[in-house]
Amino acid sequence: MNARAIFGAAVLVLLPTTLLLLAADARVRRDQKQTEIPTLVAVAKRLPSTDLALSGGARWLRTPSLEEPGAAFSDGPALPDPDPAGGAVSPPRAVWTEEARNGQTTGEAK
Amino acid sequence: MKRTLSLLAYAVGALMRRPGKSFALAAGLALAVALVSAVLFLTDALRADADRARDAVPDLVVERIVAGRIATMRATDLETLKIPPILSVSEIRPRAWGYLFVPALQGNVTVVSSPMSEPELDSRAIDDGRDLKPGAHEMVMGRTLAHALGVVIGDQLQLPSPRLAAPPLKLVGTFSSKVDLIAADVIACDESDARALLGLPTDEATDLAITLSNPDEARIVSQTIASRLPGTRIVEKDLLSRVYALAYGRRSGIMLAASIPALIALLLLAWDRASGLGPEEKKEIAILKAVGFATADVLTTKMLEALVVACAGTAIGLLLGYSWVFWFGAAGLRPAIAGWSAIYPDQALTPMVDATQLFAIAFGVVAPFVALSIIPAWRAATLDPMEAMRG
Repeated sequence: MNARAIFGAAVLVLLPTTLLLLAADARVRRDQKQTEIPTLVAVAKRLPSTDLALSGGARWLRTPSLEEPGAAFSDGPALPDPDPAGGAVSPPRAVWTEEARNGQTTGEAK
Repeated sequence: MKRTLSLLAYAVGALMRRPGKSFALAAGLALAVALVSAVLFLTDALRADADRARDAVPDLVVERIVAGRIATMRATDLETLKIPPILSVSEIRPRAWGYLFVPALQGNVTVVSSPMSEPELDSRAIDDGRDLKPGAHEMVMGRTLAHALGVVIGDQLQLPSPRLAAPPLKLVGTFSSKVDLIAADVIACDESDARALLGLPTDEATDLAITLSNPDEARIVSQTIASRLPGTRIVEKDLLSRVYALAYGRRSGIMLAASIPALIALLLLAWDRASGLGPEEKKEIAILKAVGFATADVLTTKMLEALVVACAGTAIGLLLGYSWVFWFGAAGLRPAIAGWSAIYPDQALTPMVDATQLFAIAFGVVAPFVALSIIPAWRAATLDPMEAMRG
């Protein structure tokens, strides 16, 4: 067979082979992690939450599940919001406007 | 089969005649795939790691809110919940925990009082040393924290605290590296030491952890608690997954938005394919047709060219993305999505991606790339050879 054809076929086979190897590696690592879950749960029972210890700079980042909502600025005046929200998806302004209008109408009726 | 292999050989030859363009296409595709796949792999892994120990979380956590911020629960709050008993509540446990700023680290550590009702931790949970004994002024801390503080088993440590009465604690064990993701910055000690460190009076608690005999009744029980203790915040276990999905999903969204330039580069590559063939390629197709190639053969050759480039680029891109996140710790990317900290666990993340998802990503890249290459090839292949050769 032509060397170029062999090279071409090898490149075409490279993709599924890579995918299968990565999937196998992921599977091995997942199975290994599965055996560690009882240990993880035993330690987690002593902790306030199972939030990941990845951001210890402020309490709302260390344990986001337990901290008060809307307190991102409370630990330092004029600090930038470290975890900004709402930038990509805007709030449902039309719904709010409609609600406000309905509220006004109801108020006037009363 | 032989015909297809011959066309494949010709396609590889054609790519080799334009090495610069072929390499640029494959490399651009690989980089874009690597960046996008790394963000997706990392987000999935973080979400799963955060959710993995969810069984250990109490069904409900009750917090008192004063002036919009969390305040400590009082003994009277506990009595209000205990008498009369709420149906389905099997245990109410006041917890003493909080954060302590350690100037030496310029960061917060999490101080936790270890409930003595829990069984002693074994060697799987504690790497080095043993579990703590109540009343002995001992502590167990995260491996990363011990490393950052430069303490070893047997060392006594006087932690800064609002009360001078806080005793120095002896380090008797460090948590296993397997739990570093949740316990890297944790100091576990007995309740009296934790209260002394945090300045928490004995009749107060940080929050109340509630265990239910029937977790399905969480919503009803939380309504009862809210009516008995107005103004409290009740965190339900079921909502945790949503918190993690929101937190990491939002960050990965921001990261993907920041990588828009790379995606634009990918679109430019696709546009290059779609915008038509250059005069040299048109001439090449015309010669092929003149020597007897059918239109179908020309199309197959062009499709195979695109397929070879797309397969090589996607395979290298996915390999780069995967190895970046799971073999090399997502250097540079991890702080952007996972968060940053003075005490940062370097534990490897666990991949959640499987073969189906990988094939779906690969198909999502290869299929449009190949499809875009067919249109201009078909346009050129249907040209009159003489006209194409004249340019």
